[in-house]
Amino acid sequence: MSDRPPAHVDHDSQLFASRSESTLSAGALTCMANIVVPRAYPAETVIVVEGEPCEAAYFIVEGNVEVYRMSFQGRQQVLVRLGPGQAFNTVPLFQVNGCNHASAIAHTDVTLYALRKEDFPRALRDCPDLALVILQDFANRLAHLTDLVEDLALRSVRGRLAQFLLQQANGSAVTQKWTQDEMAAHLGTVRDMIGRSLRALTNERMIKLDRGRIVLLDRAALEAEAQN
Amino acid sequence: MVDQWTLPEIDLALCTRCGQCVAQCPTQAVEMQATGPVIVRPADCTYCTTCEAVCPVGAITCAFEIAWDKSAF
Repeated sequence: MSDRPPAHVDHDSQLFASRSESTLSAGALTCMANIVVPRAYPAETVIVVEGEPCEAAYFIVEGNVEVYRMSFQGRQQVLVRLGPGQAFNTVPLFQVNGCNHASAIAHTDVTLYALRKEDFPRALRDCPDLALVILQDFANRLAHLTDLVEDLALRSVRGRLAQFLLQQANGSAVTQKWTQDEMAAHLGTVRDMIGRSLRALTNERMIKLDRGRIVLLDRAALEAEAQN
Repeated sequence: MVDQWTLPEIDLALCTRCGQCVAQCPTQAVEMQATGPVIVRPADCTYCTTCEAVCPVGAITCAFEIAWDKSAF
């Protein structure tokens, strides 16, 4: 971790900008610039540890962060992967003696703005727009977690995998590679189940496994599978 | 674009030279050398991910791109 020179938050920063209905006003951004602390973390650095006392909430300027919970047996469930403009660890700021609800790790090199817990009351007082932006972030997160609960409770691993493959193949132009362990952590299962499910989808000609490539062959069948 | 010879990635800094990947490789594509495990017969590697699964320290990575079959469009 390294602290950088004094924060400079402006409209180019993407802070609060993406995936949010509203952005902070120019005045509020200037105000926030005096409160947040810029931080940079290399990929694979654990930024927040579940259960530790909350020190700050973070707003992503560049890079991707994965938020996850870990069982005592070491099994990981990724809750969400976040990108520029999104925030994490905001919930404990609102709680007395709040602890971090989940761990967060830098998936890539990341630049963040940290809003320290002790500065949060001042930030809300000086930048009233901030409360609305955080509430919108909460609403988006609640909707996401509700969908995640439905997936984990009501869909089979094969169904979740089919949906995940469709989302990835239909997603952004940036090619991302996934190991079977990473897929398992995202889908609430173990590597073995991912391997078995991939083989089953292959046997049913919905996908084809090439070297380093999962090729989707049958959209209709995968979409039907994703409903199970 | 996936190279014909996309192979598992071995992180020699993490590798403990336990030899599990060599012992479990179904096509004997991996050999233990002085520097650590090496895929000496890349044409024999089927990217089955067994080596990744058996590595006790996570030193081997078999990652997949996820993409549509272009011939389907």
